[in-house]
Amino acid sequence: MEPGQGELSPAFPLAGECQEKVEEGKAYSPDGVFAYLEMLEARAHKAAVKQEETEQQEEKLARLKARVEELRLQRDELRAKVDLQQKRQLGKEGGVSNPAQPSARAVLEWKIKSIKAMLEVFYLTGISGKLTKRGVCFCISTAYEGTYLDSYHLDLLTKPEVQIYRHSVPIFIPLQQIAKKYLQTDIRRFLSVLSDHLNAYAGRRYQADQLQEHFSDQIEGTLQRNSLCNLLVFNYKVPSKSKTFPFNVRLLYGDLCCSLPTEVVISCTPNAPASLAETAAAHSDLFRRVALHKVFRSFSSAVGNVDGAP
Amino acid sequence: MDNSICQVYEDEIQSLEEEIKLLTEKYEESQQESTFFSDEEILMSIKSLQREFEGESKGHESPSDLKAQLESLEKDLSFLMKFTGIQFTSHSKKTVEKTRSRTVQKHRLSGNCHSLSFQLEFQLLEMQNKESVSAAITDLSIIMKSGEDSDMRKLVSSTEEHGNLLTFFRSLSSYAEWCEHRRCTFLHFK
Repeated sequence: MEPGQGELSPAFPLAGECQEKVEEGKAYSPDGVFAYLEMLEARAHKAAVKQEETEQQEEKLARLKARVEELRLQRDELRAKVDLQQKRQLGKEGGVSNPAQPSARAVLEWKIKSIKAMLEVFYLTGISGKLTKRGVCFCISTAYEGTYLDSYHLDLLTKPEVQIYRHSVPIFIPLQQIAKKYLQTDIRRFLSVLSDHLNAYAGRRYQADQLQEHFSDQIEGTLQRNSLCNLLVFNYKVPSKSKTFPFNVRLLYGDLCCSLPTEVVISCTPNAPASLAETAAAHSDLFRRVALHKVFRSFSSAVGNVDGAP
Repeated sequence: MDNSICQVYEDEIQSLEEEIKLLTEKYEESQQESTFFSDEEILMSIKSLQREFEGESKGHESPSDLKAQLESLEKDLSFLMKFTGIQFTSHSKKTVEKTRSRTVQKHRLSGNCHSLSFQLEFQLLEMQNKESVSAAITDLSIIMKSGEDSDMRKLVSSTEEHGNLLTFFRSLSSYAEWCEHRRCTFLHFK
């Protein structure tokens, strides 16, 4: 069989070739001829497919190139627009007068955006919400020292009396108790007390999470905590150059509206030296006054000081 | 070989699309923040849009949709201000940094809580984590306009130190309510 050249050549250079073969005296049986024809057909088909692929590839490249140029143009126009805008704002004082009178629609859209932005700011204040057909849906946001944490929703109905329709408050927060006390008489107070509970819970959880995330090398074993995060029990060791004896600490947050513990119990292992009792007392005081993760931060930065001294 | 050229184009397309998105946002934000329309202008626009609509019918959002949306938002805002006692008189924000995973916006906010006026400036950092967005306040600065007593000054400085914006508002709210209550009580006895 003639080896194919591999180049694109006229699709069917068959008839003459075939005739030649036969005449050359290489006596092809009818089967041989058909097989040869099939091979040529297959070769032609392959060539056609390849040509189509190449054409598609070229089309794709051309499309992409056109798109790139289109986008470049768009980007350049936008850059010029933004630059002009900045220059105008530096040059003028007070209100900006648009060269083109804004459409009524644009004015309303401006106002809508402006109000939406202000509603978003309310989220940062801790209480936000929106009116619903049958009442109000409040959103209580929580934060710990500038870091915003989870937010909780309360869907309230206002008729015939104020009631909680739906909420996302966790079950271990005494919502019903607080509602019973304040919901009917003073909604503001109700939300304020609930917010205190939720913020304190979020704060305690945040401290425990921070401890586990950043100071796990100082914790031995697991940190045990309940869902309300008002009871924490764990073993820790203070980083120091010499051998340390782990402390066991039990933190109880008796005030559910507070994110500092009311009760701290620290114990050492039985074989620990007596001097550690002093350290334990110092730590106990520290845990009561300072946020949990900050206590451990101070331990880390105090390495190199006298053993165990905070 | 062809594939790698394709890839180069595709990468450039993606980067251009992102740049265009950022530029558009920057332009729109700047436009929004530097514009101001008074309440009269808003009312006039509502009327003019309704007249326009009666003349011809357009495809997209009808003016009554915009009007309804505006009214609903205004109701929500006025309810919140009345309920919390916190009235914002002005607010502006500016995006100072924006990448795929983090956005930093500088905010200027002024208003009052009952009789206590405040002026705030802060930066709000939003970071995209795997599942959620986290937000944190930095560079908080607070100016209280009304006569400052020592309690207020303590609140302000400790809030500024820790970026405790939420605590500030809640404390301000209950302090203002207490002041109001005290004022009413004194009036009662006059």
